[in-house]
Amino acid sequence: MDFLKERFPNAQFGNLVNGDVEVLVPKEEYEAAVQCCYEAGFKYCSVVTAIDWMDRLTLVASLCRIDPSEVGVVTIHIKVDLPRTGASIPSIANLYPGANWHERETYDMYGIKFEGHPDLRRILLPDHWQGGHPLLKDFEDKRPQRPRIVRRGSTE
Amino acid sequence: MEQEREILVNLGPQHPSTHGVLRVIAKLDGETVTWCQPDVGYLHRCFEKLAEKRTFPQVVPYTDRTDYLSAITNETCYVEAVEKLFNGAIEVPERAQYIRVMMNEMQRICSHLLALGSMAMDIGAMTPFLYCFRDREKIYSLFERITGGRQLYNYLRIGGVRNDLPEGILGTPSDGEDKADQTLWGFINYFDSYVIPQWRDLVTENRIFQWRTQGVGCLPADVAVAYSASGAVLRGSGVKWDLRKNKPYLIYDRLDFDIPVGTSGRGDCYDRWCVRAEEMVQSSRIVKQCLEWLAENPGPVMAPKVPRVIKPPKGEVYHRIEGSRGEVACYIVSDGGTSPYKVKWRSPCFTHLQLMPYLCPGHKVADLIAILGSIDIVLGEVDR
Repeated sequence: MDFLKERFPNAQFGNLVNGDVEVLVPKEEYEAAVQCCYEAGFKYCSVVTAIDWMDRLTLVASLCRIDPSEVGVVTIHIKVDLPRTGASIPSIANLYPGANWHERETYDMYGIKFEGHPDLRRILLPDHWQGGHPLLKDFEDKRPQRPRIVRRGSTE
Repeated sequence: MEQEREILVNLGPQHPSTHGVLRVIAKLDGETVTWCQPDVGYLHRCFEKLAEKRTFPQVVPYTDRTDYLSAITNETCYVEAVEKLFNGAIEVPERAQYIRVMMNEMQRICSHLLALGSMAMDIGAMTPFLYCFRDREKIYSLFERITGGRQLYNYLRIGGVRNDLPEGILGTPSDGEDKADQTLWGFINYFDSYVIPQWRDLVTENRIFQWRTQGVGCLPADVAVAYSASGAVLRGSGVKWDLRKNKPYLIYDRLDFDIPVGTSGRGDCYDRWCVRAEEMVQSSRIVKQCLEWLAENPGPVMAPKVPRVIKPPKGEVYHRIEGSRGEVACYIVSDGGTSPYKVKWRSPCFTHLQLMPYLCPGHKVADLIAILGSIDIVLGEVDR
């Protein structure tokens, strides 16, 4: 991925075990890095998600190129480290309309706010959900527990 | 007093045409849709959170239940991703790979049959739905003999498959229609000689059907890519893109098959229909090649050195495969423990549903249902 290396000398490059490229960029350069990939022909956003490392969140945007003649396509995972609470990051949904719902899901599950997103609401959980962001590792379900049903006469 | 022309209509969550529990909010001007927005999440089961609390092999049955109409495909995606995490330490035997491919393609036929049948029923043709269930039953009977389950299998293991094919299930290439629910060759011969011509004559070349679907829900190729469409939706728009060819996994690079694409250049519902119908023919070609290979090459179906406790080394993997509905992908992070640190399921239906606000405006309500049928959603996978 030489075009990214030239443009972002500060980024950390690595490889996933299946040969995909991962690029860790500082938060300020995230939008520029995505734009750079877009201009290099990576016009397909496969997924946007996040990983909770307990001390930080890592946002992952996976981009790839749709070229019918290419065999063995490589996905670029652009990663950004973010604080665990109150994180916000520019949205890429205007560049990749397909990232729209994936960003909403990431907001829903991890609480990362996407600035400039056209419609940032919860998606899988109800709009009025107050219980937090469930895929964070320290999430606790605070809803009242249902009593456990035990069959009469059971030794348990 | 000025009267408001638009009315807001709420389709679902319980509606026969929504293939599950999907709510579509639509603004109508007369009978024309001017705006629509799907609302999902009614079937959310926290699959990704559950997976963090289970061991690696225990997650496989959950992946079945995401897209319950093509369970084997999901298992393949997850199991292969975990095998990749081991970075070559687990070598899946060739026979297991052929069995996986054969099962995947049978599942694709099965899933496309339902996609076509339910789309035909959505736009008012009841009979094809009954025919698709007649043939799906045969596939399910065969799968039951192979795996023990009819719909949710838990058949793939990390390192191979649970058991070899039972005796006599392959059959011989001369098996006819009478053995369609007993041997794989019987089914494939029956499928080629009887089912495919029937669908072509009954629906694909039916003029009423063509009037209902041609020019409805047009999706240009560049928009399809921008919206991250995949599978039959992307190929219906004329983009020749299939991960089986473009990023070969399993043993797909050894097999001979074609990638059908939409031919009209419009990328409408009819194109998506034709791509699915043609894909079933190609799947049947793949199954035949696998059956020939499987008949001649006995061997083990599990890798020899799979540890009892599956503990992949630290690492991350993003594995993408071509599922029945499009690109199924799985992002697994392992911290070296016995359960995945994180699992992210990239489901094609979730991504495709975003197309609704783009495709529907300007069409009638009945066409909204046709579009919904043509993008072929399974709500279990949308909500996970």
